[in-house]
Amino acid sequence: MTEAEAISLFKCLADKSRLQILKSLAVEDMYVERLAERLGLTAPTISFHLKKLSDAGAVAAYKNQYYMMYSLNKEMFRTSILEILQQESDEAQKQAQRDADYRQRVIDAFFEYGKLKSIPVQRKKERIVLEVIAEAFDFDRIYSEREVNIIIADFHDDFCTIRRDLIGERLLDRNGMEYWRMKNG
Amino acid sequence: MNEQQRKFESYLDEQAAACKQRIQLLAEDDRTDEGNFEKVRANIYEIFKTILSVAERVCGEEDGAKRDFFLQKAEQIPTSWTASYEKAKQSGDVEKMHIESIKLDTIQEIKDMCMRIWEGTT
Repeated sequence: MTEAEAISLFKCLADKSRLQILKSLAVEDMYVERLAERLGLTAPTISFHLKKLSDAGAVAAYKNQYYMMYSLNKEMFRTSILEILQQESDEAQKQAQRDADYRQRVIDAFFEYGKLKSIPVQRKKERIVLEVIAEAFDFDRIYSEREVNIIIADFHDDFCTIRRDLIGERLLDRNGMEYWRMKNG
Repeated sequence: MNEQQRKFESYLDEQAAACKQRIQLLAEDDRTDEGNFEKVRANIYEIFKTILSVAERVCGEEDGAKRDFFLQKAEQIPTSWTASYEKAKQSGDVEKMHIESIKLDTIQEIKDMCMRIWEGTT
């Protein structure tokens, strides 16, 4: 289900009458007049709601002798809300670009000629700064604490705070005096 | 303003007020689209209340002329709604068809009430 389809479906469902129609169709397939009688609404109002439900893919119509019967599109309702949320957003590229722009702005603001001017107070900004520093460490290599301090000192004098925060942010890990870069950091 | 006009005007006011009450109830009941249809209906009562006051200005105290003026407008104005309904029907626009039919049903009801009041059958 695309994002536009999901929005259309959610909008459609946010109406008590339409929900009542769907509940009725969950019991059995029905025609307009039957639904109108059951729900105490006029036939044109039911037709209007059915059109919206049909456009959103929630119901399907088929001809049965003289009647146009409506049925619940059960397949659509088997999709879980989590599945819809996990679908890649149509906006994903734009969001990624916005994130990248923000990241670059933070880097530009806190680094000058490769040196960290100050440690950001905001956790989100500090995380970006720490990610940049973590890139100075190779994967699959064990560093001594001294080596870690020297690498960090190239960026900022307060290597103790930064070393601790790199561990805290799971960008580096340690075992006693040995340090290494985390792959998923 | 004579008795019939007063009665007709209060009928239009009551109908518009009833629509507004239903709009409120439908909104509270999460039936927004049906609330919007009630807005359409309320709007028709209000438009024709304005036409009634125009009839009074145009025709003065001549009672039959006021009624005729009103009924003439009540015939003229909906012709575009009928055309719009037909157009919507051709293109399968159910929502537009429903709106136009609400307008047409409401004006029919207003015309019937107008006749009944002036004929003294209500």
